[in-house]
Amino acid sequence: MKSIALTSVALLCAVLIYSTMGFPAWGDSDSPASTHVSDYYIENAVNDTAVPNLVTAVLADYRGYDTLFETTVVLIAGLACFFLLRRFKPRQPQHRLYRHIDTGITLIIEQGGKEPTDSEEFVRIDSRWVPYDLVIQQASCLVIPFLQLFALYVIAHGHHSPGGGFQGGVIFGATIILMAIANDLRSAARRVSERLGALMASAGVLIYAGIGALCILLGGSFLDYSALSKLFAFTPVMARSHGILGVEIGVAVAVSAVMIWIYYNLASAGRHEEGL
Amino acid sequence: MTVISTILLISGLIFFTGGSVGILRFPDFYARLHPAGKLDTMGLFMTLSGMAVYVLSDFTVSALLTALKIMLIVVFIFITSPTATHAIADAGMRAGLWPWARTREEEK
Repeated sequence: MKSIALTSVALLCAVLIYSTMGFPAWGDSDSPASTHVSDYYIENAVNDTAVPNLVTAVLADYRGYDTLFETTVVLIAGLACFFLLRRFKPRQPQHRLYRHIDTGITLIIEQGGKEPTDSEEFVRIDSRWVPYDLVIQQASCLVIPFLQLFALYVIAHGHHSPGGGFQGGVIFGATIILMAIANDLRSAARRVSERLGALMASAGVLIYAGIGALCILLGGSFLDYSALSKLFAFTPVMARSHGILGVEIGVAVAVSAVMIWIYYNLASAGRHEEGL
Repeated sequence: MTVISTILLISGLIFFTGGSVGILRFPDFYARLHPAGKLDTMGLFMTLSGMAVYVLSDFTVSALLTALKIMLIVVFIFITSPTATHAIADAGMRAGLWPWARTREEEK
């Protein structure tokens, strides 16, 4: 069995390596990728959009439709996880565990018993409870603010350096997921609830499509950001630059919210009561 | 400056190599975490400080800023890498994985 697998992998490798011979040579100026529109982007992107990072200019301006529907695909992924996994009917818990914070005594409340509210004295803990890990909690507390700041930097600095909405949004979502792992799911959901996540995921796509629609209302075509110059006191070139920033913010909001939403559904098996 | 940064880069690479060999050669999970956590952190510190020294070889304000940013990465790695190793070791303990011992092998 192992030999069959090895042979098939070796055969596939050979086919792939053989097919690289059909590629155009490295840096070939006549290759299909560099004959049609690439020259135009390279020569005119900075003059058109005032964005030094050509990747961002192509991604959010010249190929704006592509990115709009990529963002929609991310939203659809979140929705698919939601519809597949979410269970609205809460399973009747056998018992719930509450921990007295000062003494560390754990109370087991049987089904139907009177439950203490989460307060200064009692905190609800997961049924597969693991002792509070001070090292991980403190380290994540220390790191999360810097991570979030860095995420905002990546979003805002996509014009000038590698980065942009998708990358920054993923980093931002990962900070909330880190919070959920280091503490528990409920304490993360107290800050970013499921409802907020779903609303933000939709709002991100709405921001993107809304900027496109605003361009139509101002007399341009869909996602033609230079039309925004009529609304604000920008030159058309700067309007395209700022339009790209607005679109990136929409992408970041959608991506980060979808990351958090998918994590909540996956980690709690759709029940949103107890996480990993 | 170039000499110093080269020495730092090479010693960092030695640490990385030791870490990789350790991950491959050590007998069990906990022992493998040891080179994975420690040597990678130290190797990263060495290579990144080598880069910072190299950047500073022609001294300007922007070069100083770049070096500071590189050292900031080191600070964050020093916070997060031991924490990650701690969390992984903790998860191994909690999953009921026993440390490897020679006597247990001989009993079988």
